Amino acid sequence: MTTIRSFMTDDHRRCDDFFAEAEQAIGKNNIAVARAAFGHFQSSVLAHFECEEKTLFPTFEAKTGMSMGPTQVMRMEHQQMRALLDDARSAIESGDIDDYLGLAETLLIMMQQHNMKEENILYPMCDQHLSAELPAVLERLEMELCDE
Amino acid sequence: MQALLSFENAPPFAAPLRFFLTAPLFAVLAGLLLAWNGPQLMASRWMPGALAATHLVTVGFMLQVMLGALIQILPVVAGANLRHPLRVARIVHIGLSGGGGLLAAGFLAAIPWLLSTAALLLGITLLYFLVVCVQALASVPSTSPTIRGLKLALVGLAAVVGLGMLLAFELAYGWSLPLAALVDLHAGWGLGGWAGILLVAMAYVVVPMFQLTPGYPARPSWWFPVAMLLLLLLWSGGVLGSVEWLVQLSQGLAALAGIAFCVLTLRLQGKRRRARADATYRYWQLGLTASVAALLMLLVSVLWPAASELDGWTIGFGILIIVGGFLSFITGMLYKISAFLTWLHLQNFGQAKIPAPAMNKILSDTDCQRQMVAHAVALALLLAAVIVPDWLARPAGLAFALANGWLFWNLACAVRRYRRAQADMAEKLAAL
Repeated sequence: MTTIRSFMTDDHRRCDDFFAEAEQAIGKNNIAVARAAFGHFQSSVLAHFECEEKTLFPTFEAKTGMSMGPTQVMRMEHQQMRALLDDARSAIESGDIDDYLGLAETLLIMMQQHNMKEENILYPMCDQHLSAELPAVLERLEMELCDE
Repeated sequence: MQALLSFENAPPFAAPLRFFLTAPLFAVLAGLLLAWNGPQLMASRWMPGALAATHLVTVGFMLQVMLGALIQILPVVAGANLRHPLRVARIVHIGLSGGGGLLAAGFLAAIPWLLSTAALLLGITLLYFLVVCVQALASVPSTSPTIRGLKLALVGLAAVVGLGMLLAFELAYGWSLPLAALVDLHAGWGLGGWAGILLVAMAYVVVPMFQLTPGYPARPSWWFPVAMLLLLLLWSGGVLGSVEWLVQLSQGLAALAGIAFCVLTLRLQGKRRRARADATYRYWQLGLTASVAALLMLLVSVLWPAASELDGWTIGFGILIIVGGFLSFITGMLYKISAFLTWLHLQNFGQAKIPAPAMNKILSDTDCQRQMVAHAVALALLLAAVIVPDWLARPAGLAFALANGWLFWNLACAVRRYRRAQADMAEKLAAL
């Protein structure tokens, strides 16, 4: 059965794929491919953030009344990652590979520890509290992620 | 769930940092002890110097980093918040450092009251740490193999410390217990039940996530920590009831389980999608290879017990599993977590107004890789010293001290750069 946890976790992995693609292209000195892959990575991550902030988190907050709780921290981490994404983007655009690799490494760890909290803690909470709305919520998340 | 409530609840940098900076110094002491004591330290595992050096590394280095890292990552991995993390860190760090130092001194000088004081100090410190962790983890459901592994590893910690205290009192007061069997069991709980299960639980997270490998298969992941714990309980039962075949059987199965985990991890890493081999990855590869070799030795000694009577067999096994295996894993991960924490704290310090320098500006991979070469050379020399102790024991000790001094230097430089960056950012913030 698809749960919020499994659905959103799969999307995390999809973003990881683009990240890996960009890094591999850099390893092969193929900057054009790396830029394109990073572009995909950035838009997938931003779409993921967006559907959480517009759909998943507000639904969770409305149901549980926890508006200053875990979702707030996740939003703050999204902001930190948006800044890192922008910085990495400008590094790769200007061809500053060393800077890009440093920022990408930082971004990867930031992203993975964030994913860990979502996958192990927040998504299971969502599945638990939103069990009645699950099909509707999943459908909306799916639609929003496809739109990107 | 509290852990997710706010960043303010995250442990301050000072909490884990004190452990990370102290640990390499204990390893330096172990290396210097070998250089000073020379070949006689390697004559047998029962030499006072060998016991002291082993505990300088296991308690002073391994336990130090593991507890510091746990204080930091329990909120992230398990959503379990320790109350007053800085206070916990201060108390545990003092107890552990003091206890580890006294224990080594007690072994070296063979002074009973030193040994028993060290045992009491370590026992009380770790009991306190366990109580704090159990409080934090009590309400956390085991929703992932990592969380279950963490919980079971704490059982291993309780067992290794309990047995360690028992053994220290036995040595101090000459109780008549089966020393050799209990020492083996103590090492089994320490390396398998505590460090091993903790490593595996962390590997489930760090290997796929940071090296972008496929995930560990779900079912074996859930069962591995449980199986390891059960095997150690069987082993304990064998020692209690003096059932030799049960001890052998559980040791052999534990070795096989360990080998399976290492081979699986090596295969997953073979499928990783990261383009660059950084120091953390290389340290993992070295650690896995050395661990497989060590566990094969354990397997051989189970099937052919006479092997462990061979000169240097047990010492060689100890060096392979502790220096080659655990120290490699721990150092590799220590670099990553230290660099990330400096970035995270600078990031929060900059309040999203001033950007923090990226991780590689604080701790460069080149520095880490160079230090790793020193670690690998020290490991090779230590292993060679098992065969020709007269020639190589002292150089190996110096090399080990040097590699860990270098680790300290790398970490200390990162902290210096962190402080400088923070001062720089404070100026910029004030000017806004």
